[in-house]
Amino acid sequence: MRSPSLRALSISTVAAFCVALSLVFFYAPIEAEEGFLQKIFYLHVPLAIVTLAGFVIGGLMAIAHLRTRDARWDLRSYVAIHMSLIFGAAALVTGSIWARASWGHWWVWNEPTLVSFLIVFLLYATYQPLRFAIEDPERQARYASVFAITAGAFVPLNFIAVRLSASYVHPRVLGGSSNLPAPMMLTFLVSLAAMALLFATLYSYELAAKRTRILLKARSRILGFQ
Amino acid sequence: MLAATLPEHSNDGYVAAAYIVFLAIVLIYVAIMAVRLGRVQRKVEELRGDTDTGRLARARESASEEEPSTHTFQGANPGGRGPRAEGEGKEREKV
Repeated sequence: MRSPSLRALSISTVAAFCVALSLVFFYAPIEAEEGFLQKIFYLHVPLAIVTLAGFVIGGLMAIAHLRTRDARWDLRSYVAIHMSLIFGAAALVTGSIWARASWGHWWVWNEPTLVSFLIVFLLYATYQPLRFAIEDPERQARYASVFAITAGAFVPLNFIAVRLSASYVHPRVLGGSSNLPAPMMLTFLVSLAAMALLFATLYSYELAAKRTRILLKARSRILGFQ
Repeated sequence: MLAATLPEHSNDGYVAAAYIVFLAIVLIYVAIMAVRLGRVQRKVEELRGDTDTGRLARARESASEEEPSTHTFQGANPGGRGPRAEGEGKEREKV
């Protein structure tokens, strides 16, 4: 687990977060309507984007697993989804805090952005119980991959639902209607990069830990200690 | 210190709460990872101990079964490591 690439990734993540937080609190201007509260934007939106990207990446890795039958792709897909769930939980909590402060409610059920994200999150929350309900490792990996691909197809629907929705309580971040001033856009992009780096770092650690445990179990079995 | 440099707004608490929640989630995750890593390290130590104990037992077994000339050979190897131990060394390399 002590590889130079992991160390470099960790250091760059910490550095990126230092830069991002400095930009958020000392460089980005205070938004006219929301005021200081808008600072949550630089945390919540990157979290949501990285979460959804992680789910899609998990689906792509699942495709690679089904194509190659290589168990390593299944492990990668599993870890990507696992990490995305953690990031997704953080996105939901930070979003709720923002909603409470901004709209006066912790949750707004008639807002498609929120509900579609929650549906995607809950869908993936069933991934692990489904996976570990299957005893046979090969079947488990195959079914999990099919699930990851199918659920991955729902993620673009989240974006499409946001674009097509008539309700506009939730602000639109990306796309033609987004007119963030340059300092805010720069801060947002740096925050997004920092969040993506954090995802990559935690993903790498989790993957290394999982691989080590699998290897350890296999060696114990070979040596007859289990 | 940070609060002193930031402008005061009525929603400061919510912003702080959001960032603290995020930090807490990351810290909890890192703590879980640390606990898991500790468990893996303990397991590695156990496995190493078991391997060494097993190796010692096998070495003793073979020493009691083998000819006196073999005892002389083993005596030439510090630590009592005979040909079997060398073979095991190879197995360990694979690990």
